[in-house]
Amino acid sequence: MPDSFVQNRVPAAATTQCVEVIEVSKIYHGGTQNAVEAVSSVNFSVPHGQFVAILGPSGCGKSTLLMMVGGLEAVTTGRIEVDGSPMAGPRTSIGIMFQDSTLLPWKSALDNVLFPIKVLKRPVQEYHDNAHALLDRVGLYGFAQKKPHELSGGMRQRVSICRALVYEPNVLLMDEPFSALDAITRDEMNGLLLDLWQQYTKTALFVTHSIREAVMLADRVLVMTQRPATIVEDLTIPFARPREMSIGESREFNEICGHLRERIEHSHFEGRR
Amino acid sequence: MTVETAQSRALDLVPFGAAQFPSLRQLRPVLLPVATAGTVLLLWQAVCLVFRIPHVILPAPTEIAGELWRILPTLLKEAIPTTLDSVASFCLASGLGVGLAIVLTYSPLLRDTLYPNLVAFQLVPKVALAPLFVVWLGITSESRIAFSTFASFFPVVISAAVGFEGADASTLRLCRSLTATDWQSFRLVRFPFALPAIFSGMKIAMTMSVIGVIIGEFISAKAGLGFYILYASSRMETAAIFAALFVLCMIGAALYGAVALAERHVRRHYGRR
Amino acid sequence: MAHVGRAVGLPVAFAIFCVIAWEALCRFGHVSSELLPAPSAVWNVLAGNPGILMEQAVPTTIEVAVSFAVACAVGVLLAIGITFSAAIREAIYPNIVMFQVIPKIALAPLFIVWLGVGGKSIVTVGVFIAFFPMVVSTATGLVGAKPDVLQLCRSLTASEWQCFVLVRFPYAMPHIFAGMKVGVTMAMIGVIVGEFITAQAGLGYIIMFASSAGETATVLAAIVVLCGIGLVLYGLVALGELAVRRWYGGELPTSGVI
Ligand SMILES: Nc1ncnc2c1ncn2[C@@H]1O[C@H](COP(=O)(O)OP(=O)(O)OP(=O)(O)O)[C@@H](O)[C@H]1O
Ligand SMILES: [Mg+2]
Repeated sequence: MPDSFVQNRVPAAATTQCVEVIEVSKIYHGGTQNAVEAVSSVNFSVPHGQFVAILGPSGCGKSTLLMMVGGLEAVTTGRIEVDGSPMAGPRTSIGIMFQDSTLLPWKSALDNVLFPIKVLKRPVQEYHDNAHALLDRVGLYGFAQKKPHELSGGMRQRVSICRALVYEPNVLLMDEPFSALDAITRDEMNGLLLDLWQQYTKTALFVTHSIREAVMLADRVLVMTQRPATIVEDLTIPFARPREMSIGESREFNEICGHLRERIEHSHFEGRR
Repeated sequence: MTVETAQSRALDLVPFGAAQFPSLRQLRPVLLPVATAGTVLLLWQAVCLVFRIPHVILPAPTEIAGELWRILPTLLKEAIPTTLDSVASFCLASGLGVGLAIVLTYSPLLRDTLYPNLVAFQLVPKVALAPLFVVWLGITSESRIAFSTFASFFPVVISAAVGFEGADASTLRLCRSLTATDWQSFRLVRFPFALPAIFSGMKIAMTMSVIGVIIGEFISAKAGLGFYILYASSRMETAAIFAALFVLCMIGAALYGAVALAERHVRRHYGRR
Repeated sequence: MAHVGRAVGLPVAFAIFCVIAWEALCRFGHVSSELLPAPSAVWNVLAGNPGILMEQAVPTTIEVAVSFAVACAVGVLLAIGITFSAAIREAIYPNIVMFQVIPKIALAPLFIVWLGVGGKSIVTVGVFIAFFPMVVSTATGLVGAKPDVLQLCRSLTASEWQCFVLVRFPYAMPHIFAGMKVGVTMAMIGVIVGEFITAQAGLGYIIMFASSAGETATVLAAIVVLCGIGLVLYGLVALGELAVRRWYGGELPTSGVI
């Protein structure tokens, strides 16, 4: 299993798809009165190393889709393949970041970062340096021994980024990781994620409500409709990497955002029919 | 809705008019525990029969049922004072408790003076005082009610006081800005906010007042289920003990259920789950 | 500082005032000492006759400590058992909650029928009463771990056992202590009621005996000793909780059980 960051950049791998979602639907409580169709025949694929953002109205089924890709929810119909093999359950080659930082309150920042290593029964000592380096990288130098309640919301989210990266997954799934943060911290976190991305390119699916955030971070943006969710737009973002946060002021950026907003509003309308 | 979708919806459902009756799966949370309790009873019966356990040690459920049927008139007669005393002390404890909590909420001086003492009283074994009430009030129903009220009063005051104190600060500020009177802000904000806490205190008080009455009847009574249980145990009539316990449990559960129902009703009135 | 002074001073002053008022009532109010002995009379019993009270305190303390310890062990183990599998939890937990509601103390005479008069049945009553709050709050804690964190574990392909050791059990610690605080009070109640109705030895026996003999001062003295024992045991649990709270860090979930 290609575990290190560097191997992802091998060009041979770039030709094959990393994540493939084929005709996937999800129905909760199927066969009962309160059946909910959350996702309906979704198709898309993500090549290795691509950063894909998923935009859509609240409650449309984005989290459901992401959890299915992560193997945490079963698909009702259709198929999901990651690295060429169908998903049957959670895998260690996939890292997930949740909306809340979900840190363990009794563990220090460092121990929280090392939590996956402990669960995966890898030698914790070997990852110590790596964990420290990640914490330094996200600007938490000197906070390694602090417990979550001694950290701010943004700091906690940084710890959880480190936690998602420390065990070197190939694919990173992020479910509105910054939505609980204030606007300024959020911009800061976007910058940080962009930097980290440039350093360790890996395949990513990023769910968000913010159009600007999606355009800023992603190589490609998928727009979903109201529940049951389907994909109505698949837009490639033309900005080159490495990106600077300042592209947010460019005209092209704002035009793309405007276009996406229009698509979303339109799909809202369509969704209600 | 077209006919087709209506039909496909109908097909989703379990046939035979399952729409009216809850399905087996929905009943699982009720059926499973009941089945477990039933299994335990069956095992009990089997053990008694197979190992020929002496009746004095453990009568079989069927024997207990027979005994219950035989002495039911006596038990019901004994149940009357127990129930009345429990209800009386519950009402006294709830009324006094909530009343004192209101006083504590509006008088900072009394709160600072009394509250810590109340909490300290919560910790001491109040049961030990039961014989004192007999010394003071004699072997009477009043002495049992007084003791039982004393035992169940503290949880109500403490949780009600915590509840009144915990009312949403910004809503109270809103009231002040609307120049609401103290009575208005109490009736409209503090009281509804405190309801869950008051009811959780009252539920504890309900159990405690039955316990208090039983202990009172153990140590000083000529009637009541507690008295009957102790009397039967001195004559080694184990089946009669179990029958009396059964009636007592029914009373305890019914009284608790009544409080829980009242809670549901009141909370629904205030638009909270 | 003035704030702290008020927070401690006022309640203590009030308690002292109550004792003085009580003393004054007894001295000048012609209250029969059988009905309400003065605090000084209670003190005389405590100071004048400590041997007897202490002697009777020994079995009571041991019984409370043993039944509390057994209730904790059995309660936590059973809670682990019933939360480990969803089916077992659904089957057993509602029955246990049902038991919370009924007046279990009424079973005390039954234990005496089974185990005879003496320490064994008293301890059993204590265990039986203290055990339910332990199970309920431990189980609440064990199933109450944040779903997000459990999902994180699943995404890391953690085993059930790892989830339990690394997440569920630590999350339950505060609840376990909340249960223990209730449990220690309940063990005390069970033991006292057991001593009331078996009447062989212990402070509960002293209280019953002295109250029927009209020696109310002795009753109050025994109650003072009991309160002392109760507070010490409760204090030990609270100290343990403080240590866990420090380890846990930050906000503690609370649990409301009887
Ligand atoms: N476990 C579940 N059981 C039943 N229905 C569910 C479940 N999880 C989600 N749903 C339903 O599926 C739909 C999609 O939910 P989902 O959480 O995927 O939305 P979302 O797009 O992530 O929303 P948000 O942007 O608010 O996070 C919702 O209508 C929700 O009610
Ligand atoms: Mg979501």
